[in-house]
Amino acid sequence: MELFLEQLINGCAIGSLYAMFGLGFGIVFATLGILNAAHGSYASWAAIAALAAVEQLKLPFIVALPIGVVAGGMLAVLVDQIAFQPLRRRGSEMLGALITSIAFWIILDNLAGTATGQQSLSFPRGSYPGTMFRLGDIPLPAMQVITIAAMLIVTVSLHLLIRHSRFGAAMRAVGWNQTAAALGGVNPRHVVIITAFIAGATSGLAGVLGGITTQNVSFLLGEGLLLKGFAAVVVGGYDDVRGTAIAGVGLGILEVMTSQYLSSGLRDGITYALLLSFLLLRPRGLFGSAGFSRA
Amino acid sequence: MQALGDFWRAYQSTVAFAIVNAFFALSTYAVLSAGILSFATVTYAAMGGFVGARLVLQSGLDPMLLLPAAAGAGALLAYIVALIFLRLESHWMALASLALILITRVVVINVPSVTGGVNGLSLPVKLPLFVLAILLAVAIAVFYRLSVSWFGIASRAVREDPAVASSIGIAPRRIQTIAFVISGAVGGLGGMLLALVLQFLSPDTYFVNIAFTMIAAVVLGGSYHWIGAIIGAAVFTALPVIAQAIVPHFQEVANGIVLLLIMIFLPRGLIDPRAIRLRRAAHGASADAARGAARIVEGKP
Repeated sequence: MELFLEQLINGCAIGSLYAMFGLGFGIVFATLGILNAAHGSYASWAAIAALAAVEQLKLPFIVALPIGVVAGGMLAVLVDQIAFQPLRRRGSEMLGALITSIAFWIILDNLAGTATGQQSLSFPRGSYPGTMFRLGDIPLPAMQVITIAAMLIVTVSLHLLIRHSRFGAAMRAVGWNQTAAALGGVNPRHVVIITAFIAGATSGLAGVLGGITTQNVSFLLGEGLLLKGFAAVVVGGYDDVRGTAIAGVGLGILEVMTSQYLSSGLRDGITYALLLSFLLLRPRGLFGSAGFSRA
Repeated sequence: MQALGDFWRAYQSTVAFAIVNAFFALSTYAVLSAGILSFATVTYAAMGGFVGARLVLQSGLDPMLLLPAAAGAGALLAYIVALIFLRLESHWMALASLALILITRVVVINVPSVTGGVNGLSLPVKLPLFVLAILLAVAIAVFYRLSVSWFGIASRAVREDPAVASSIGIAPRRIQTIAFVISGAVGGLGGMLLALVLQFLSPDTYFVNIAFTMIAAVVLGGSYHWIGAIIGAAVFTALPVIAQAIVPHFQEVANGIVLLLIMIFLPRGLIDPRAIRLRRAAHGASADAARGAARIVEGKP
C-alpha cells in the first residue's frame, strides 16, 4: 500500500511537469494557432540558464528559478517575433508555421547541445531544496512538493487569467480572429508578445523543475517534455487549461503505475497509445470544446 | 587525379546518405502532393528497414533481391494506415502521424526478436553506391511518369481543393489512398537502404529526427514538384558537411538557419513551378511587346 501511495505521489510530481509544459504549449496552440515544435527547447534553455545562474553566478535556488523562467519567456518572444511574425503578416497557414518552428527546433536544440557539451548535466547537490518530508511512512522530497504546488498555482492563475480577466478575453479574441480583435480595440501585437512570453515562461518553469528533479539538463529534457506535454494537451483538450492540467497529472500517474506494475518498457507506450486513440476517436480531448468549420 | 580520388572517398558516405534522404523526402512528397501532411514515412521506413534487415540476416540472400520485400511491407503498412487515418481532418492527421512515430519506437523496443530491442540490430552487409544511384534513377523515372499522368493531375486537383475535385468526378479518398501506398513503398525501400548504409539499426534510427528533417527537406526544396524533394534532401545532407569546414561545432545549426531563411523569403521552396511559369510568361510577354514595337517602327501592319 505504501509503495502504491509513494508511486502515486511520484506520478503526480512527474505529471505536474507534463501539465505545466502542456499549459504553455497549449496556450500557443489555442490562442496563436501554432503547433510549435521548438517549444521544448524553451524548457531546455530555461534549465540551462538556471544551471548557469547556480554554477557561474552562485545564486541561490530562489533567484535561479525566476531567472530560468524569464529566460524561457524571452526566448519564446524572440522566436515568435523572428519566426512567426513574418508569416502572420503574410497570412500563411499551419504548415508554414510548423516548418518554421522545426527550423528553430534544429537551431535551438543544437545550440543547447553545444552549451552542455553534448552531455546531460545536473544541478549540484545543495543548490536546490533537498529536505525530505514524511507523510506517515512515505518519504516526500521537497522538490516534489514544490513541483506539485507550482503546477496548482500556475493552473489556477492561468485559468483565472484566460477566463476571468480582460486580458484573457483579449487573448481569446486574438486567437479567434486578429483583425476582428483589432476592430474591437485590442492591440494584437501586444497580446501576441505577452501570450508568447507567458507560454515560454510556463514551459520554462517546467524545464527548470524538470531539470532538477530528473537530474538531466540537456536538449533531451525539452524533447521529452514536448512529446509528453503535447500528449497532455491533446488528451485534456487544448482550449481548457484545467483539462490540460488534469490530463498531464493523469498521464504522469498512468506512466509511473505502468512502469511499476506492468513493465518499464511500456512506460512511454501507454501515453502515446492514449494520444493516438484520442486523436482518432475524440480529437478535442476530454474537456475541449467541439470545433466547427463552415464549408 | 589523386586529389579527386581522395575527395570521392571522403564524401562517398555523404552521397549515400543524400540518396537515402532523397527516398524519404520523395515518400513525404508523395502524400504532400495529394494534400496531406504526414510524418508516417518514418514508420514505413522502420517497417521496411527491420523487415528487410531480418530477412537478410535470416535468409542470407543478396539484399538486392530482398529490396522489393521491404517496399512491399511499407506499402502494406501504408494501406492500413490510410484506412484508419484518412477519416481525420488534415491537422489531426498530421498529429496522429506524429503519435504513430512515437508508438513505433515503443513497439521497436518491445519486440527484440525482430528488432533487437534496445541493443539494436547489426547488419554487416553492404550495398555498392552505384546500386543506390540506379534505384534513385528508377524512383525519378517513376515520379516523373506519375506527375505527367492522370494521377498527377488528379492529385494536384485534390491538393488544391478536395471539395471541388470531388465535384468534378475525382474521388479524393481514392487518390489519397493511392498516394499513401506509393509513399509507403518508397518509404519502406528508403528504410531498408538506410539500414544497409548505416549497417546498424537502433530504436532511435527511425524517430522524430528523420521526420522533422525530411519534411523540412521537402519544403526547402519545393513542395510543389518532386524534384524539389530530391534537391531539398541533397541540400540538407550536404549543408552540414560544407558548414563543418567553415564553422565546426555549429554545422547542424546551418540547416536550421537555411530552412528559416527559405521559409521567410521563399515560402514555396527553391523549386517553385508557379514562379518559373510566371517568369517564363513575363519574358514571353516582354518579348512579344518588343516584337510588336519593332513591327510598328518598321511600318508593318
